[in-house]
Amino acid sequence: MLGLFDNDYGPDGFRTCSVTGLRIHRSAENPTKLFALTAIVALLVGGIFAFTVAMTRWEFVGLLEAGDFYTHLSMHAWNLLIFWMIFMEIAILYVGGPMVLGRRLSIPILAKVGWATMVLGAVAVNYGIWTTTAPNEAPLLTAYVPNPSEPLFYAGVIVFLLGATVAALPFFATLWVEKRENAGQTLPLVTFAAFTTAVIAVEAILGGLAAFSYAFLWRMEIIASVDAAIYRQLYWIAGHGTQQINLVAMIAVWYFLTHVVGGAEVVSEKVSRTAFILYLFFINLGAAHHLLSDPAVSTGWRIFNTSYAFYGATFASLIHAFAIPAGIEAGRRRRGLGGGLFGWLTGAPWRNPMFSATIFSIILFGFLGGITGVIMGQLQLNMTWHNTLATVGHFHATVVLGTTVAFMGLTYFVIRTLFMRQFISPKLASVQPYLYSGAMAIATLMLMYVGILYGVPRRTTEVVENIPGTEFSLSAAGPLFSVFGVFALLAIAGGVLFLVLAVGSVLFGKRIEPGDNDDITPDGGLAADGGESVHHYEMRGTFVLCLVFLTAFVITYLLNWYLLSQLWKIGL
Amino acid sequence: MTDRTSSSVYSFASGLCRRTWNDVLSVYYANTPIWRVLKSVGLLFFGFFCWSASNLLLSYRPSWSFLYFVAAYGFALIVWGPLTHLALLPWVIRLRRTANHPLTRTVARKGSMLNLSIFLTIVLVLGIAPISPMLLDFGTLVDDGTGSPDVDPDLECTVVDELVECSLSDPSGIDHVVVTSGEVHVKTVEEPPYDFEIRRSNLETVLGQKQFTVELRDEDGATLRRYKRTVPTDGE
Repeated sequence: MLGLFDNDYGPDGFRTCSVTGLRIHRSAENPTKLFALTAIVALLVGGIFAFTVAMTRWEFVGLLEAGDFYTHLSMHAWNLLIFWMIFMEIAILYVGGPMVLGRRLSIPILAKVGWATMVLGAVAVNYGIWTTTAPNEAPLLTAYVPNPSEPLFYAGVIVFLLGATVAALPFFATLWVEKRENAGQTLPLVTFAAFTTAVIAVEAILGGLAAFSYAFLWRMEIIASVDAAIYRQLYWIAGHGTQQINLVAMIAVWYFLTHVVGGAEVVSEKVSRTAFILYLFFINLGAAHHLLSDPAVSTGWRIFNTSYAFYGATFASLIHAFAIPAGIEAGRRRRGLGGGLFGWLTGAPWRNPMFSATIFSIILFGFLGGITGVIMGQLQLNMTWHNTLATVGHFHATVVLGTTVAFMGLTYFVIRTLFMRQFISPKLASVQPYLYSGAMAIATLMLMYVGILYGVPRRTTEVVENIPGTEFSLSAAGPLFSVFGVFALLAIAGGVLFLVLAVGSVLFGKRIEPGDNDDITPDGGLAADGGESVHHYEMRGTFVLCLVFLTAFVITYLLNWYLLSQLWKIGL
Repeated sequence: MTDRTSSSVYSFASGLCRRTWNDVLSVYYANTPIWRVLKSVGLLFFGFFCWSASNLLLSYRPSWSFLYFVAAYGFALIVWGPLTHLALLPWVIRLRRTANHPLTRTVARKGSMLNLSIFLTIVLVLGIAPISPMLLDFGTLVDDGTGSPDVDPDLECTVVDELVECSLSDPSGIDHVVVTSGEVHVKTVEEPPYDFEIRRSNLETVLGQKQFTVELRDEDGATLRRYKRTVPTDGE
């Protein structure tokens, strides 16, 4: 079809990637392309609604009426937070599993069945949301009962989740075959990360099936009522679990891309693997931060899940935050690239969009998403963040600046190495991560500011001009909203540019012949030739960067506590 | 402590300071495209942070006047940081190689100092006489009463046989009330005190309950408040 699935395979169906050196089988490559392309379609749909939502929240434009806003917001959330991410994540499983292991994809027919089921579910969810009429409510991502949504919506979600399960089965089957044949060998780190992602995904999917089946039965009036408090807890197993899949998949992409285009080496496999195992045990407990203001759960439950157990996952993130830059620094120094404190970093291939997108994802996720995540995961500080636009800022920092930007880098990589196409404009492809990440970072920062500084609520159309029917005015937040509006438009332009480059390159890009991909391989080759062991090289640049991160963390943390302490006085 | 120990501590400390200062200088003058971008974006974010955080602290501690200078520093840095590292510094470095005229050579030699002096002067001036865009306003969360009235009455509904009777605790600030059920318009109430009756049979059934929505609107038709109520179905 349009030459999209043509590559030169040997008689055994394998070919060797000139960039990664991986043996890639047709049965793994074609479904990867299919899932990645579908993810791009979801990104397009969600991106269109990003425009309408942002231009409504920027009241200078005030695009939508209140009645339409929630529908558009729901379309934006489901297509970007769920469909764009999960289609891409299934593609990552196929890269991290069969491709990295150099195997065929086991039971490939299930990949096709899974894809068709997921598409059916996604279409049903979109149709259900778009055609929502009273008394049903557009569900947003928090499809809380007893607010009723279209029955088709619940059915669509269930079908989508089942499809994702079916699509993940070939990955598990491939790993099972691998372990049967090589029982004593450990999995490569990227495969191990993909496996962790898949386990967390199963957990999220089970929670999602429980929650949405429960709601569907109630909506179809098969059961008379639902316990809303139990539903919320079930819901967040999926609601936050899906975002944790994003996180772990993103970190797998970080390890993969920093190695194959940046020349990074893993400083300590054991430490990195331990960090993934910490995620496995602790990360879903972070979902409790959505229920920190929920009266139905006890304070002890909330404190344990967020302020104690969740720190196991935070510790894991801090390990990766150190391990990945340290890997880049050690790997590049080993190749004799870049002296001084930061020469290894500044001499890196910054014109390569795969590398720049990955590094921006690491930096922006860490500074904007990670720090705020820990802050709002605390019972006390959560009170100043909950249900304000600061929360929206936080998850735009994690899933947009973190995961989406990393996935954009991966998409560029897939275009060059799986679709074997040149970019239609290499210059624009170099610029795009800068434009998108920079503009989105400022827009995200403004969302945090208007939320935490002014308490501007989320999910409402009007706040700055007036909250209807009240004397309460948030007009002072107007200037920051103006900055937000301008940078949101620039970020959307960056997103459009990505879509044009991705789709344009896949359809019209010049075909790459074997050996023409050398420009994206790391300087000095993928495997460092000679030199000392990676542990002999200084990582002082990474150490300084970590100190900067720690300083930002401490200042932001103290400032938030100070803000909270000013809300009320105890005693005199 | 022996002399040798104190001397080695001193030499370590002075060596550390010298290396740090050299590192800072090398970062300041680093002029590759990616260094320019990283420094500019870093200072842009740092400027935003200093500006907003100091404004916030000022709203709680107006007597801490040094915060005006921090706010001014952040506010100026948002523009001056990128300007310096994307435009001025590369220009100065280029001039050092190419300048022939004595004046341009002086500018090339003293350019960085000149730039820093102008920046610090701007910070000082803005700190002493802050302009309004520099100061975020945190004091107007509640209007002085000249804005729209606070419309938030209680809606009480009782069911008497086939009729649902509703009343509002306070009709002020409302122009009219619209009652809908599902997609069906049930009635519009135009006269205060906006009490109304609706027939249970006119309401749509949702999940075993009759449901209706009451919207309080102003003279422009904008919604001020929205209430959703459910009524048990017949026979319950």
